Amino acid sequence: MIFQKGSVFTESFKISDEIYLDFSRVFKDFNPLHMNSEFAMKKGFKEKVMHGNILNGFLSYFIGECLPIKDVIIHSQSINYKNPVYLNEEVVLISTINDFYESVKTVEFKFRFTNKNNSITFARGNFQIGLI
Amino acid sequence: MNKDELLKNVNEIFIDVLDDETILLDYSTTASDVEDWDSLTHIQLVVAVEKKIKVKFTSKEIQSWNNVGEMLDCILSK
Repeated sequence: MIFQKGSVFTESFKISDEIYLDFSRVFKDFNPLHMNSEFAMKKGFKEKVMHGNILNGFLSYFIGECLPIKDVIIHSQSINYKNPVYLNEEVVLISTINDFYESVKTVEFKFRFTNKNNSITFARGNFQIGLI
Repeated sequence: MNKDELLKNVNEIFIDVLDDETILLDYSTTASDVEDWDSLTHIQLVVAVEKKIKVKFTSKEIQSWNNVGEMLDCILSK
């Protein structure tokens, strides 16, 4: 069985200028929190904050391209943001199989996005995929 | 837990998953009797039942059910 309860999968990402700018342009989210460091600092952040949904893009890539098989479809996902991510930050996705439902060929994962030292959690959540 | 109590619990799960307070299951209920109970929500319903009732089904078992009553019988047999 490829997917077993407790199995852990990890993948590292970096929020590069290209990812950040392309995301802003494609989805037209130019909120000053994301674009203007001065604005972000006035709101208590270290610098401009990356769009939280960039992490969802990484999650999409992870599910579609990094899991052991490609025959998958996302049923659901949820994410809770815990700390801001800044430009050029390296983030590590740690994903653990929470349960496997053989009856409906469905796998439930929980995940965390952390910094590379695993000392800061940027976001955590879960997603459920079907094996097609 | 007897079959009637189990039916109440499963009914609550269906209400939660399908977000429909009007659902009232009985033993003869089938997917065609419940709005939004389709092939995709069926997966969510089975997952929710397995999780909340703490049972595990096989694909063979769920394919054998013809109505809610047969699902409950399967749960009670475990």
